[in-house]
Amino acid sequence: MEPIVVTNLTKVYKSAFGKRNVTALQNFSLEVPQGTIFGLLGPNGAGKTTLVKVLLSIVYPTAGDAKLFGQSISNSAVRKRTGYLPENHKFPQYLSAEGLLKFVAQINDYHDKNLNYKIDELLSLVNMTKWKRTKIKKYSKGMMQRLGLAQALINNPDLIFLDEPTDGIDPIGRKEIRDILKNLKDSGKTIFLNSHLLSEVEMISDKVAILNKGQLITQGTVDDLTSTKEVYEIILESLLENSLLQREFSNLQIENQEKHIYSARMEDLPSLNAMIDKLRNNRINIVSIIPKKVSLEDMFISLINESDKKN
Amino acid sequence: MKNIIILTKQTMQEAFARKVFITFFIVSAVTLILGSLLFMLTPLANFTTGMEESMKHSKIPITMDPLIMVVQILKNLIVFPLYTLGLFLSIFSVSSFIPNLLEKGHIDIILSKPVARSQVLIGKYLGGLIVVLLNVTFLVGGIWLLIGLKFSVWDTNFLYIILTVTFAFATLYSLIILIGILSQSHILSMMLCYIIFIAFSPVISKLHYAEFITNKFYKALVDILYYIHPKTADIWGMTESILKGEAIASYQPIYTSAAFLVLIFGLSIFIFSKKDY
Repeated sequence: MEPIVVTNLTKVYKSAFGKRNVTALQNFSLEVPQGTIFGLLGPNGAGKTTLVKVLLSIVYPTAGDAKLFGQSISNSAVRKRTGYLPENHKFPQYLSAEGLLKFVAQINDYHDKNLNYKIDELLSLVNMTKWKRTKIKKYSKGMMQRLGLAQALINNPDLIFLDEPTDGIDPIGRKEIRDILKNLKDSGKTIFLNSHLLSEVEMISDKVAILNKGQLITQGTVDDLTSTKEVYEIILESLLENSLLQREFSNLQIENQEKHIYSARMEDLPSLNAMIDKLRNNRINIVSIIPKKVSLEDMFISLINESDKKN
Repeated sequence: MKNIIILTKQTMQEAFARKVFITFFIVSAVTLILGSLLFMLTPLANFTTGMEESMKHSKIPITMDPLIMVVQILKNLIVFPLYTLGLFLSIFSVSSFIPNLLEKGHIDIILSKPVARSQVLIGKYLGGLIVVLLNVTFLVGGIWLLIGLKFSVWDTNFLYIILTVTFAFATLYSLIILIGILSQSHILSMMLCYIIFIAFSPVISKLHYAEFITNKFYKALVDILYYIHPKTADIWGMTESILKGEAIASYQPIYTSAAFLVLIFGLSIFIFSKKDY
């Protein structure tokens, strides 16, 4: 059973007289497989947070359907299997980390004889052990974020929604959080990640979806989305002679003279193989041929620009 | 039910943490200390001889024991300020509960849990009600104890103030919750409740029973306003009657105020359940 299945979901925020209705999600469909880290990307106002809020019944959908673990999102019991770290969360300032985790466990209807042990374990996981009994009002932004992650995990959820989880956290802390998320994934949990930090998403996500103005632009694995089809990076043992390059290999572009790196745009695989044959016939040694990749950020910007032009 | 208990406990914890409980407690304690100082510094004889003198010069023959008479007058002097102070402090104490709950980032966490939205509001309501009940019990019970110790008169009717203040508060609290949900402003909730119990309810109650309104339209308007509002003024009138040992003429203010509570709280739950956060 897929943890998340969204079908033709639409959410319109209606204003009092209908003059300023905002469509946050438009016929949005998505499936998130179990045991993956799924990254949802999009510019501000794309509808990322709205999607998570709809899935957790904080916001109601206008049309369409959404299911968590095969059950309707309107069934509150399904939320026992979820954990959530909202963006800009605000915990009761008068509670301590321990108090908050106990409250969240209770309200999640989570029963564990060893709850105190579980709390200690989670606080240790997010490096907050020594702040266990300190009031939340004394916490820094980074500490709040770590505690936020701990409360999202207190009920041992199968599906974890994280909205900007590394916001306000230093690079070492980010690395720690990435490791935590990878471990959770390895233990079979599904993680749904909303983030502006594309490099973070690129590093840990198995699959990503890009959302713009409430519409799904594309989705796939990070590798699929970042590999530029038909463009290859070719490293040769030595530089090609100019005359040979112009005469036989006009589709090769020099990228780095010192390292003998070329790029080639090939129409298909047979063309690539034909070029390899031609290089070998000319007794040129090939060091490597790698399909060229763009960064997730470049791909994201180009897709958003394209989508904006269409609209 | 379990969720309601958890949220009720959490609301009470919030009241303690935000010094709401302690502020109410301090004001009540100061009132009790001032009362006990007054009683300590004034010998019992001063109360009774003064009363005996007044009774001698009274044109109407009074057969009541002077001591009982003193206690009766004292209670009548205390009941209005006590009722007003109790309600004033109660409204002040709980007005921020709903706006705090609805703060962005906090409400998301609560609603993302396996808990019905109606349970969230019922928990908040009961938590606030228990906080007020405890505080009013401390204040009224303390004054009852002081009077009892000083005059050896233990009139249990006095303790009815606990119930009437708590009930009047319960009706106003439903309005605080509704305004809190609609506006997320504790100032607006507080102001509206103060206006109702300080001005609107006493005025509309007087107008309802007044005979000088002869215009049918105005009479109907006053009647509508009278029946639909939480009758804090009439509840105070009933409290006075109980203290005087008089029979209560009509329980209508209780019924209609209870209906107001149910309707307004029901409306709050309905709106809260439909709203996006």
